[in-house]
Amino acid sequence: MKKRLIELRINNDSYDLAVEPQRTLLEVLREDLGLTGAKEACGTGECGACTVLIDGKPILSCLTLAIEVQGKEIITIEGLTGGGDLHPLQKAFIQYGAIQCGYCTSGMILNAKSILDENPKPSREEILKGLEGNLCRCTGYNKIVEAVMEASKGED
Amino acid sequence: MRIPKFEYFQPSSIEEVCSLLYKYKEEAKVLAGGTDLLVKMKKKEVIPKVVISLKGIPILDKIEWDDGGGLRIGPLVTHAAIVNHPMIREKYNFLAETCFKIGTRQVRYMGTLVGNICNASPSSDAAAPLLVLEAKVKLLHLYGERTIPMEEFFIGPFQTILDPQEMVVEIQIPKPLPYSAGSYLYLHKASSVGETLVGAAVLLTMEPGEPICKEIRIALSSVAPTPIRAKAAERILRGKRLEEKRVREAAQVASDETQPRSRAWYRKEMSKVLVERSIIQAMERIQ
Repeated sequence: MKKRLIELRINNDSYDLAVEPQRTLLEVLREDLGLTGAKEACGTGECGACTVLIDGKPILSCLTLAIEVQGKEIITIEGLTGGGDLHPLQKAFIQYGAIQCGYCTSGMILNAKSILDENPKPSREEILKGLEGNLCRCTGYNKIVEAVMEASKGED
Repeated sequence: MRIPKFEYFQPSSIEEVCSLLYKYKEEAKVLAGGTDLLVKMKKKEVIPKVVISLKGIPILDKIEWDDGGGLRIGPLVTHAAIVNHPMIREKYNFLAETCFKIGTRQVRYMGTLVGNICNASPSSDAAAPLLVLEAKVKLLHLYGERTIPMEEFFIGPFQTILDPQEMVVEIQIPKPLPYSAGSYLYLHKASSVGETLVGAAVLLTMEPGEPICKEIRIALSSVAPTPIRAKAAERILRGKRLEEKRVREAAQVASDETQPRSRAWYRKEMSKVLVERSIIQAMERIQ
């Protein structure tokens, strides 16, 4: 199929790209732009490893066509802080050992950010429910939940 | 996993969508949230030549209410939009609650209620609540429209009455009656995105100040080729005093109305349990 010229706004930068309609945002991020923070694991919307923020909402980039997100504000883990210091969630994940292999981490942190943006003081249950679509095979989730709780305290 | 190639259209009006569907028929698929369609395309279960995106028609994400007609939900309304909608939480709390149980946080922000019913999974969590709400589905064709009851929309596993040339333009939900409340309870496989094994929805209307059932609707998902109403069970309770024994009997009859194909014993037993609990929960919500 013919490529289309599109413009994507990612991490406050603008990118002009030629993409085929069937290509996912995840493929474009990783293969065309070298933004490899978002990961492909299941590819079918169950694991959350490909989560990015689109207009502040947690979206699965593996089930999003790149041509459908023109004109939207896309944030990946690379653009979470805009350079410089780490985000409070990133610091909390390090402090609590909420990362092991790291494969789920970028999706986990971006979804956690959207949870805290919506509800700055979530309960443990609300965090668990919010993160149900992010699978982690290493940590057993407790440390991740603790890290998100810690980051929510820091936002006073 | 790659999506097979297709020709992509993003029309800016509903008429254009209908023209494209009229032209391409079975070769075309309508794309809304993508959480079902793109997965099926990746798995090569569906390989459309043409994909028609609704994203170019922002008006389709409207949730509208009027005192006469009730609630109207457009095809781009996501589960999250329903969960977070103050009017739906006030008037149809049980629908908001149900949508909060669907998928995961990300899927709720992407997937749509209309997409959920068009996928027509027998285990759809939205279907049983929409059946008891007696929702209707408005279908549009280039040369006409029709509005059909939810109950007639599903015709088999992953099959709907929708013609390849038609699109769903809205789900209509009648005004809630006073002294009524709904409940949806479900059991699913072990993972958080695990398929629902049994889902039971109840919408109960009681006589004011009396433990008498004025009207009741019961529906079940994942226990038959399509989501079903349990009408024989409803008849046992309609107009009757809600006593423990009668509620039990109705739950048993609802279970008898199911036709599960796999894990039949479990699904029948749990249908009974969940229908009973849903009735009790709906009662408690009215009192």
